[in-house]
Order: sequence, then structure tokens, then C-alpha cells
Amino acid sequence: MKCPPMLLHLKIRGKRRGFSLWLPIFLLLPLALAIFIVAAPLILIAIPIFWPSGWRKRALHIFGAVFEIVCSLRGIKVDMQSDHDYMYISAV
Amino acid sequence: MDENKKKILEMLAENKISADEAYQLLSALETKGSTSEGTSKSQTTAKMKSKYLRVHMVSASEHEDRHKSDHVNVRVPMALIHAGMKFTSLLPPEARDKVTGALHEKGIDFDMRNLKPEDMDEFLEALSELEVDVVNNDGDTVKVYVE
Repeated sequence: MKCPPMLLHLKIRGKRRGFSLWLPIFLLLPLALAIFIVAAPLILIAIPIFWPSGWRKRALHIFGAVFEIVCSLRGIKVDMQSDHDYMYISAV
Repeated sequence: MDENKKKILEMLAENKISADEAYQLLSALETKGSTSEGTSKSQTTAKMKSKYLRVHMVSASEHEDRHKSDHVNVRVPMALIHAGMKFTSLLPPEARDKVTGALHEKGIDFDMRNLKPEDMDEFLEALSELEVDVVNNDGDTVKVYVE
């Protein structure tokens, strides 16, 4: 089963200072669930309104594609160095 | 039943070939079948193995610490490329026309409307064999490969 990345490692360094961050993306999942629960009544109202226009199918496809892209981000790594500047992004 | 096997059995029934010859032909067919199956399996395995597209650029500028020389090192999961390509199929036709027009202006003759899911799989399969290795006169290197 595909699952979104759990951690995002961010490292940025300039000439004088820099920082390194481990962002716990997994903490956003409960937040996303809470937002979904809050938005659920609105979605239920929107479905019958947009049903005849054919937007339901497209919206479902877009939601699925966005979820797939987010899940596929796991393993991405960008590592750049230029003179004294350095940037590193990695999704685990 | 396989068409070839059926033909062999028909030839045997019509006494055109002997039982031994029929056996040899059937064995040859089975060997051929298992070989092609094995090849397709290994191709699928190879496809599954290629997980990342790597882009590696290193400047030849001298630096005390090799790791601190100018460089770009990008690792993109193949799944992300696949998902991104799938996403293009969800673009509204007007947006596709705009993208195609913009590409055409840049001299890239590529029509996004012709992009189909089966083409994407074929493209990704071909991408797994991609390897670009460029070195300029100054020694700067660019490598693009799939691992």
C-alpha cells in the first residue's frame, strides 16, 4: 500500500549560518483527517449539486492523482551546493 | 489449446508426422514458450528495479573539500514521474492546448493530446535504459541515469 512520506529533512546553509530541520509530516495526517471530517458535510452537500455537471468524476480523479503524487514523493532527494550556499531536501 | 500445438496434433492424426516427431515439436514449443516467459519476467523485474532517476552535475572548480565543490544531485522516484504523467491526462483540453502551444513556441514539437497511459508505460520502460554522461572541456560533468 502506498503511503505518503513521513519525514522531510531540510538542510539549508548560507555563508554564515544555516539550519537543519526534520519535519514530521506524519503529524499532519491526523490534522488532514480532522479537516476532512469537518469538511465532510460540505462535501455531502456539494456532491448532489455537482453530480449532473460531471465534475464529480473529475474531482475524484484529481483527488486520487494528487494523493498518488504526494505518496510518490517518498525517496525524493535534492542536494545542491553553490559557492557557500548549500541546500538539501529529502523526503523519507 | 495453443494454435501450434493443435496443428502438430492434427498433423499427427493425419499421419503426416510420426509420434516421435510430434513429441520433438511439442517439446521445442514448450522450451520456446518458457524462454520467452523468462525473458518477459526478467524485463518486468528490471523495470521494477529501476526506482530512481538520478541527475548529477558536478562543477570542475577546484575545492579543498570535494563534497563542497559546486554540485547538483537530484534523485527523483520513478513513481513520481509516473504519477506526474498520469496527472497530465487530467488537465482540461484548453490547458493542454496552451501547453502544446507554449512547447511549440520553444521549438518542441510535442502534442500533449497524444499522450496516452499505454504510451507512458512504454516511455517509462524506455527511460530505465537511459544514460547520459556529458563532460565539457572544463571538466564539468552531467550525468543522468536511472538506478
